[in-house]
Amino acid sequence: MIERQVSPEPGAFEQMASLTLDTALFRSEFHLCDRVSEYLADIVAQSHEDPARYANFSSQLINEMIEFSFRSAVPTGQIDFRLLKNEERVRVSIEFAPVSDHQPDWLANDTSAIANGHPAVGDLWGLADAIRVNLHTEEHKENHVTLMADFALLEAVR
Amino acid sequence: MSPSSPSFAVEFDEINQEIVLRGTMRVRSPEEMTDATDLIRRSFGHGGHLVYVNIKRLTHLNMTAFRCIADVLTEACLADPQRRIVIVASSVIAWSAPLFETLASAQPNLSVEIYDSAFYPGQTFVEDESFIPILRTQTKMTWRHEREILPRHGMKEGMAIADICCGIGDFATLIKRQFNPTRLIALDHSKKSLEYARRVAAEFGLNSIEYTYGDASQMLLADNQFDFVTCRHSLQIFDRPDILLRELYRICKPGGRVYITNEKNSHCLGEPHSESIRWTYDEVAKLFSHFDMDVEMGPKSRRLLTDAGFDTIKVESFMVTNLDGDPRDFADVIEAWENVYAGQMAVRRGDSPDFIRRFRQGFKDHVLAALHPKGYAGWPIWAASGRKPF
Repeated sequence: MIERQVSPEPGAFEQMASLTLDTALFRSEFHLCDRVSEYLADIVAQSHEDPARYANFSSQLINEMIEFSFRSAVPTGQIDFRLLKNEERVRVSIEFAPVSDHQPDWLANDTSAIANGHPAVGDLWGLADAIRVNLHTEEHKENHVTLMADFALLEAVR
Repeated sequence: MSPSSPSFAVEFDEINQEIVLRGTMRVRSPEEMTDATDLIRRSFGHGGHLVYVNIKRLTHLNMTAFRCIADVLTEACLADPQRRIVIVASSVIAWSAPLFETLASAQPNLSVEIYDSAFYPGQTFVEDESFIPILRTQTKMTWRHEREILPRHGMKEGMAIADICCGIGDFATLIKRQFNPTRLIALDHSKKSLEYARRVAAEFGLNSIEYTYGDASQMLLADNQFDFVTCRHSLQIFDRPDILLRELYRICKPGGRVYITNEKNSHCLGEPHSESIRWTYDEVAKLFSHFDMDVEMGPKSRRLLTDAGFDTIKVESFMVTNLDGDPRDFADVIEAWENVYAGQMAVRRGDSPDFIRRFRQGFKDHVLAALHPKGYAGWPIWAASGRKPF
């Protein structure tokens, strides 16, 4: 397992919600990226002082993660969207099997990937950096990867 | 959920040298951005040495679209290093300024500014904190009528309700108590008003009202969410009420209703001194018109709702008077109007001292009418609602 941008773990994560889709179905409709990201963002924001604004904020990155998986996932098997939380954070995680020629990009967790001809990867990390959300990845056996973003559980956006 | 209609628009305002981007830009491929980027490119060709890129109402943007915009902005920066490009973002959309600042760090002639005024013409007057006590008194006076009127327009217990342009949130707390909605969201563009609203709601133990900071003409609320949407005394202070109504329509469920209230200020009345009072309120209407606001909107409600696509429209008017409750409340409201209209707006318009003196006299006469033991003072309001068709 390789983890990028490791952050201190304040406590174990508990599962809040999960959604599993057939990857072929998911990849058949680009609009599903928007639908799923807004659905997850609404749940991420529900404990915030201003849920509508935080949902909009978090959906910006969640949507990009989902679009990235939309473009990178092999069109077979399943894709898992999960929401987990501990006392400080809500974690959005997406697990899928990427097509093999995308794999080296998982190691390039910075915007240099744009110069290497993979703008989607660089844009994803660039966005996370810009809006200061901790994004990280894990690689698993059987060619699966997990994208994870950690959002504040309560803090209001300014 | 976000708006389910992924639509966006790009326009160039030649007078203000401003490229305006708005809506939801989540495109699958750069080709879908071609028309937009062509227009931006052409706009820079027509623009001068200072061009604004207004993204205040760009609510959703994926990185495919961002990359297209970034490329055309970078190209414009490099083509004319003397040209200054200012990206104007809003604090409502929390991700936009940090994202576009990544471009500013690479291009010295590009900058990002967060600009939260000029969302609507009356903003500087209405979002003034000193207005809070008077808004509270106004709601107290109108609620006596509206709690009877609202059920006639379809409000009932157990609904999902949105109060747009909620101000200090006092109407929302009254709705909560009277109609016990399953969901109640209250949106406004004044952070100070919302802070006040949250504090008052917490003191009253009304914890389930969702107060949200937002721009009523481009809300971060999804389509078809609410059974009943209210927007009181606010369309009249927007220069484009049609845009606001379009948003109210969008968030309302099919079969749900949008309820609006507006005034006709020139019909404010009082006895004694009716002539002085009438002259002043005629001038109030002209003063607001000077600032692109229409406080004569009340009777136009039916047309506005019809043009916005609503059906089964209901319109009624009511008169807040000095005989409703404590006449001192009404007098306080009139004195606050005098302070804002004569003390601030007329001064800003550049009116002469003689005009302002006569203008103030009408308000003083209205106060006298309100407090006079045999006097009568009135403030007419139009309440209207329309159903969003199935």
